[in-house]
Amino acid sequence: MASKETCRTELRSAVRLLSDRGLYSASKWAAEQLMGIEQDPAKHTPSHTRFQRGSSSIRRRFRAAAAGDSSATPSAGVSYVATPSMAGAEDYEYDAIDNDFYLLAKSYFDCREFRRAAHVLRDQTSKKAVFLRCYALYLAGEKRKEEEMIELEGPLGKSDTVNKENVSLERELSALRKNGTIDSFCLYVYGLVLKEKGSENLARTVLVEAVNSYPWNWSAWSELQSLCTTIETLNSLNLNNHWMKDFFLANTYQELRMHNESLSKYEYLQATFSFSNYIQAQIAKAQYNLREFELVQVIFEELLRNDPYRIEDMDMYSNVLYAKECFSALSYLAHRVFLTDKYRPESCCIIGNYYSLKGQHEKSVIYFRRALKLNKNYLSAWTLMGHEYVEMKNSSAAVDAYRRAVDINPCDYRAWYGLGQAYEMMGMPFYALHYFKKSVFLQPNDSRLWIAMAQCYETEQLHMLEEAIKCYKRAANCNDREAIALHHLAKLHCKLGHTEEAAFYFKKDLDRMEAEEREGPNMVEALMFLAQHCKTKKRFEEAEVYCTRLLDYTGPEKETAESLLQGIRYEKLDVEHFPP
Amino acid sequence: MAGLLKPPGNFALTPHKVSICILVQVYAPPSELSVPFPFSSVSHHNCLGIFLLSLTKACDSIFEPSLDELIAQLREIGGLLNHWLSDHLTRRLSSLASPDDLFNFFNDLRGILGGSDANVVDDDQIVLDPSSAIGMFVRRCLLAFNVMSFEGVCHLLSNIGTYCKESLSDCPPFELSHLDDSSNDPELEYESMELENFVFEKVSEEFEARKLANERVSFHSHAPGALFELVEDTDFPPSSSVEHIDRPREVSPCAPSTSDTLRGTGPPGGTFLRTNWQVQGYLSEQADAIEKHGSSFPIYAFESILKRLQKSAPELHRVHFLRYLNSLYHDDYPGALENLHRYFDYSAGTEGVEFVPDPSGCSGLGRYEIALLNLGMMHFHLGHPKQSLEVLIEAVRVSQQHSDDTCLAYTLAAICNLLSAIGFSNMTGIIGASYWPVAGIGTSSSIQQQLFVLLRRSLKRAESLKLKRLVASIHLEIAKFDLTHVQRPLLSFGPKASTKLRTCPANICKELWTSYHLISDFTDETSIMTTDGAFCTSWLQNLKKPRGSLVFSQENGIRSDSDIFHFSAQPSSIPGSVLHLLGSSYLVRAAAWETYGSAPLARINALVFATCFSDSSSSADAALAYAKLIQYLAVFKGYKEAFAALKIAEEKFLCVSKSIILLVKLQLLHERALHRGHLKLAQQLCDELGVLASPVTGVDMELKTEASLRHAQTLLAANQYDQAAAVAHSLFCMCYKFNMQVQNATVLLLLAEIHKRSGNAVSGIPYALACLSFCQSFNLDLLKASATLTLAELWLSLGPSHAKKALSLIHGAFPVLLGHGGLELRSRAFITEAKCYLAEPSFSVSEDPEMVLEPLRQASEELQVLEHHELASEAFYLMAIVYDKLGQLNEREDAAASFKKHIIALENPEDKDDPLSNFP
Repeated sequence: MASKETCRTELRSAVRLLSDRGLYSASKWAAEQLMGIEQDPAKHTPSHTRFQRGSSSIRRRFRAAAAGDSSATPSAGVSYVATPSMAGAEDYEYDAIDNDFYLLAKSYFDCREFRRAAHVLRDQTSKKAVFLRCYALYLAGEKRKEEEMIELEGPLGKSDTVNKENVSLERELSALRKNGTIDSFCLYVYGLVLKEKGSENLARTVLVEAVNSYPWNWSAWSELQSLCTTIETLNSLNLNNHWMKDFFLANTYQELRMHNESLSKYEYLQATFSFSNYIQAQIAKAQYNLREFELVQVIFEELLRNDPYRIEDMDMYSNVLYAKECFSALSYLAHRVFLTDKYRPESCCIIGNYYSLKGQHEKSVIYFRRALKLNKNYLSAWTLMGHEYVEMKNSSAAVDAYRRAVDINPCDYRAWYGLGQAYEMMGMPFYALHYFKKSVFLQPNDSRLWIAMAQCYETEQLHMLEEAIKCYKRAANCNDREAIALHHLAKLHCKLGHTEEAAFYFKKDLDRMEAEEREGPNMVEALMFLAQHCKTKKRFEEAEVYCTRLLDYTGPEKETAESLLQGIRYEKLDVEHFPP
Repeated sequence: MAGLLKPPGNFALTPHKVSICILVQVYAPPSELSVPFPFSSVSHHNCLGIFLLSLTKACDSIFEPSLDELIAQLREIGGLLNHWLSDHLTRRLSSLASPDDLFNFFNDLRGILGGSDANVVDDDQIVLDPSSAIGMFVRRCLLAFNVMSFEGVCHLLSNIGTYCKESLSDCPPFELSHLDDSSNDPELEYESMELENFVFEKVSEEFEARKLANERVSFHSHAPGALFELVEDTDFPPSSSVEHIDRPREVSPCAPSTSDTLRGTGPPGGTFLRTNWQVQGYLSEQADAIEKHGSSFPIYAFESILKRLQKSAPELHRVHFLRYLNSLYHDDYPGALENLHRYFDYSAGTEGVEFVPDPSGCSGLGRYEIALLNLGMMHFHLGHPKQSLEVLIEAVRVSQQHSDDTCLAYTLAAICNLLSAIGFSNMTGIIGASYWPVAGIGTSSSIQQQLFVLLRRSLKRAESLKLKRLVASIHLEIAKFDLTHVQRPLLSFGPKASTKLRTCPANICKELWTSYHLISDFTDETSIMTTDGAFCTSWLQNLKKPRGSLVFSQENGIRSDSDIFHFSAQPSSIPGSVLHLLGSSYLVRAAAWETYGSAPLARINALVFATCFSDSSSSADAALAYAKLIQYLAVFKGYKEAFAALKIAEEKFLCVSKSIILLVKLQLLHERALHRGHLKLAQQLCDELGVLASPVTGVDMELKTEASLRHAQTLLAANQYDQAAAVAHSLFCMCYKFNMQVQNATVLLLLAEIHKRSGNAVSGIPYALACLSFCQSFNLDLLKASATLTLAELWLSLGPSHAKKALSLIHGAFPVLLGHGGLELRSRAFITEAKCYLAEPSFSVSEDPEMVLEPLRQASEELQVLEHHELASEAFYLMAIVYDKLGQLNEREDAAASFKKHIIALENPEDKDDPLSNFP
């Protein structure tokens, strides 16, 4: 990893360069990371550090474990590319008049008058001007495309509108690339154009060129990430070693559902960018996928304290709050994002979640719909809307919503699971199995999915108990938190007359309940079975222990336990007096 | 349904529709005389009318034609006027330069519609009836224009611009543009399915040729065979269809060549979808085509069309169904499964499936039971009987829950189908274990009984729901069931005395007749729309045909005439599904007559099917009919003719693995090898036959039985009696286990034969008698006759004292044997008769030589046709002896020479030319 100081200088100039070219989100990202680097407290006024530090006591607590190895230097033999000279030499090739043209164009660009900006730059030949012209044209085309998409939407869905500038842009940029006068920003635009056209391989190559020659453009990295859908493509990329690559890898691992790898990458990056909100949010995302909700909540609380007007990723926070049923926290969050920017899909999604938690499913559907209107490919909104429809018992609508989610991203195991649930609800367990199989295939370590599938096999219509047992076993093996699987396993084995196995699982379940200090009907059931089982197996001591424990409960079980105890005593007497 | 959808307004104005409107204006100008200005005659005028009507209804493709194509079609109907018409059209189109022009144009258009009060109209004046088809079209256009936003008008205008520009860019010589179109226009390439088919056929021909060349060398060794299979699988799609179809797709988006990219950018003229109705019509036509042609349907071409369709109409979920069908018929299990689920997830079973919509309204909950039904059929089709049954049972349950009687009826029929098609015994486990829809019957009763009850119940249900086609097909199913099952009382208690253990041919006849009544009243169930569309399509295509082949007009003139005649002579066609049902009733008839042993009737029925229904039925059925005909040829006319016919059939049907044609070929080759004494080859062929069957127990039972039957026959021919008997015994056990009684009769006969050949006549007789009683109860007349023959042979081999008995047996069976038996059976009968005479002590040859010689001569002639060396040598041997006794030395020498020839051929099979080399 490059030193903090180099990172800082690199990012500082990158922010200027990027915002000078109108690449706003990349420059935003770079600036965020710039502020994320830990300041040397000696050099700065205390007010700065206070802003940065926030209240990091909680964070320290969680970070303590990971911090040990994350500061390690990269292994020997990895050579990082030298930082290219930052201040663009091209600035000198500008004379004043050209520069004026650029200034006018940039002002138009900032006012979102893209065509005008491109027109101003029509005869400019400097690289910077060429880039801005291409980029403005591209954005103009995109804007028109969005408008047309709404204007032309036919009865059967969208008509295939395309960005009309793409063809000319592609021609121009490919010519530039061929004669070698293309700069990395134009390469980025070229990559965008190619990606939209669907020639993914070329787009990937071009984007790799772009990030290799100018690594600080995060937008280029993100585009590249969206083109890496398998680990094989990721590994085949020929990327220079640069600290930006670590950000890229971490992000890509996450999208490829390699959460642990991604997490370790982020923790490594945190050594340098210890105050980066971005990294924190990404870590939260990874932990969320690993279902560490407590931790995620802590991270988000701190994030909000540092950055109270943040909306990005807050939908995930709302999911966590939903799962933990924190009514007031969720409503507070919803209120806050609503005031900040109500027309963000995330905001709508959070409000939808809130209504869903309150059980007002119709209202929550309205908000999810709004989120989808803002972004038609907003995956989690489709899935969540499906959940709402399931709650409303409108299964065909639920099926439709889930199916759209699945068609947007076929790896969304939640939507597959939802589809299975919907069909099971309609009394079609065999049909539902197809979907459950898909979902466990994508997320084989999630006990809930296995349990759902097992219950599907267990339904009276299918009654395929052997298969159900297999599924429950898988569930029990992968960290089944609510310990449903053990209980079911025991009961199923009991039903099938496998008393030994049943006893084994009841015992296991019992141990677990004891360890977690849980009580309840399951406990009674387990004790009852074990007492009877031990008695028939003539293990009287054990049986007596179980029976005495049963005596603590009221109800018919107590009486049964008493009679059992009596029976045991008689039999014991028999054994003592008349040994076999 | 749940998505962010707008209510479907389903009529969008496109440049093509504007062109039609312009032409309608020409067709019906306001206030003109009866034959308006540019037309020369009334018929000429009407021709344009029909053309316009067809344009609004045709469903030959998903996209509207470009201006070029339209102009080309106009040339066909325009005659002398064609230049005027097309000029007028392009002039009008290019005059539309501003939104206001469009407003004016549609204002004018309103003028050609007549008012609702028809009385005021003069006779001479042409007024478009607003409720006629074209009038409706115009009104819809007007409505669409009126509700259009200003943005919409702008888009329409710019679209018209590109529409014209495209045609003008390569306009001047029309001929040239047409020649070019096929090569550089991706749209056209997609649409021209004929071209695609043509290429496909050509390639498959080539592939057949290669295959034959291959076979000649390496039919016997398996390794090259496998390699060859590989070649078959991988080689020809990339060489033809894939490349052919995908090339334009790859090129047009990638290469920055100007013409292609221009197309890709603006909304190009050719990429406007036709109306929803037309697209649906196109899709259902394609669905029929897939089901008909099965695996020979060009998968890639169609897939790319579907892809484009899906891109331009993502909410048209029918596409997924078509995709499902396409992958199903190409045995792509994951693809089929995925698309089936996708289709039903989106459509909830309420879009487009062939069922009659329930008038009672089936709630907003969707009809997912149809999904189950389809899934069940899919598993059945792909050979997963267990899953299929599970799914279908779930379908029964769900449709009962939702009281969807129609679906229930269809599901029950599907279960019947499944039960009757798949072997039975291994099913009991599943059915016992899970919930079984026929609740009244305990699990103890056999599957046949369950099937029997199920059939009757579904028949009742279908009749009460008035689903005529379903009723008809259930009748067929019952006929099939009755064909091979003995009637037995369902409950095993009660007086058994009245039980009559026979099949009832009369019942079958009755069932077939009831199913036949369908033809008189199918109309109420069909959608006339699609046939309408199909007619318009074929009319438009006929327009094109003479154009494409102007050079060969002399040759093709007759053909296109007949096409037009065809078109006009059929005011309403019989829907495909009805034809299909009728056709399969003929197949069932043929099968029935074959089992009952009437060869001529079976042949006639197969022939009727092959001539009348092979166009409308699936290619698998047609292949079956051809196969049967080929078999008859082989049995009655010898191998030469059969192989010639086989060659024709192979050209007609793509010879995929497991196809019936391949099966017949193997059967014929095996029989011929047996007759000629090429035992090794026979064994090899028999093994190949066995390999074709699926390894799953209970599936492909017929094929398995046949393979082991032939195995036993081969062993018998090699005089390995013990092994042959062992094989036959195990076969008998299997047939017993799977309740295949008819096959059991055949096996019994084979066992009798084995005992006869091993010289153990006494133990053979019980088998023959058992076979006879089987035949009696199943009405298998021909088999009975041949069992009688075997019995006679057995008696005869017990000694000359039984010759009389044998003779009377043969004479009893002669009518059936000679009338319906094949060459082999007849000559065996003749030889046995002669032997009986010779063995009988009271018979003297010298008194009545013709009594013996006549049958022997007959037998020897027929056997020579059949190339059956063993029997032929026997016949000649007997003949020589008789001639010797009569003292006719010359004839004796001739017979002896023939005898020697056949014996040598039999003993040295390798000396003769390789049997496959003279096989086509």
